[in-house]
Amino acid sequence: MRFNEKELVSLSRQPSEMAAELGMRGPKKGDVVKKRLVKLVVNFLFYFRTDEEEPIGALLLEQCRVEREDSQTFSIAFLDEAERKYLFECDSEEQCGEWVDSIIKASYEFMRKNLIFYRTEIHRLTGKDPLEQYGISDETRFQVSNGLQLMSPWVKYVA
Amino acid sequence: MKLHEKILTHYLSCTSPVDKEGYLYKKKERNATYQRRWFVLKANLLFYQERPADRHLLGVIVLERCAVRRAESDAQFAFSLVFGPGLKTYRFAAVDRQTQESWVKALLSASHCYLSLLVRDLGRQYEEAKQQQGSGESRSSVTALKPSTYSFLFTAQGPTTAAVVREGRSHSASTVLQASSIPTKVVAKKSPKLWPRRNAYVTPLNGPAPLYGEWPLVGFDPLEDFRKLHDYYGQEVKKAREEWLRSRQAEEERSDEDLIDLG
Repeated sequence: MRFNEKELVSLSRQPSEMAAELGMRGPKKGDVVKKRLVKLVVNFLFYFRTDEEEPIGALLLEQCRVEREDSQTFSIAFLDEAERKYLFECDSEEQCGEWVDSIIKASYEFMRKNLIFYRTEIHRLTGKDPLEQYGISDETRFQVSNGLQLMSPWVKYVA
Repeated sequence: MKLHEKILTHYLSCTSPVDKEGYLYKKKERNATYQRRWFVLKANLLFYQERPADRHLLGVIVLERCAVRRAESDAQFAFSLVFGPGLKTYRFAAVDRQTQESWVKALLSASHCYLSLLVRDLGRQYEEAKQQQGSGESRSSVTALKPSTYSFLFTAQGPTTAAVVREGRSHSASTVLQASSIPTKVVAKKSPKLWPRRNAYVTPLNGPAPLYGEWPLVGFDPLEDFRKLHDYYGQEVKKAREEWLRSRQAEEERSDEDLIDLG
């Protein structure tokens, strides 16, 4: 599958608050822990060999399960394969917690849910749709899902 | 660089809704011909394949740090995704004006950065709306400054979104993203001194992590999450309303005493 690699590499170079050297282990049997510079940019987790400019790889942080494995280790499982996990070893309990939290909140779907929540609540409290001023009220991506049809009369149904 | 494709295709085929799909003509870089492709837009990813039923994906375009431009230079109803100097420009053409406009609009609001700005802004509006409902007077300026409530949203996006806003302004008028107009439009309502948008520039790169544990839920069931969130914040509103009622009562009692001054 083709993808805009150069542009993605350029994205990986953007400043990020969540960038650190962690011990990273792949999901396959026989994979060992390796020291990697792990960096969170938008909803991608990039990982580099220390001091290299181009990342080795990029993981899309959607439809994944992030879990605390122990006090300093967290895991990410993709493809609904709960046993195939990427493992990340942190330096402290606090750092581990920050990573888990950041990764969860970086997901586009997570942010979309927040947006829909705010949109619904602001309308309930003020009677106004906050997306109207930006001309994006009708965009499919910001529509309230079927689950919220009870909340307000103007809620649109997404089939 | 390895892009773990299976993760992307899995996300594409999962139950979360597609944001837009349809046929478009995509220009080949080499020989400048247009080929019809089936495009599927989901979150900040634009997938394409030959036909809708195809299992084989031809490619994906990650929609970050690109401008959307309407262009009529070589084809009718054309538009492009411009990634900047040294990087690609993807060119597309639609079959009519309506399709072109619809895609341009959808792509303009597709990036993660854009959504991040939007969520941040709506989060502020929500806090203000709660305050105004609860207190009956405008204490919004104080709340707006409360950093702890918003800091959890300042994950990796502070400097990046600032860059996006700047980029948005430097491109042509047709691509002045709604995103770039969001901060300015809301700023107009408030004194600039109080506006916490400054945090976007102040958030240090290696600073302390945003507060977590404040956001009450991190679940995957939208219906349950929203109800719980609704109730959780509803408590605050209820409490604030009660306090306001009590203070109003106290005021009324005081004013009753002074109605008649008998000297």
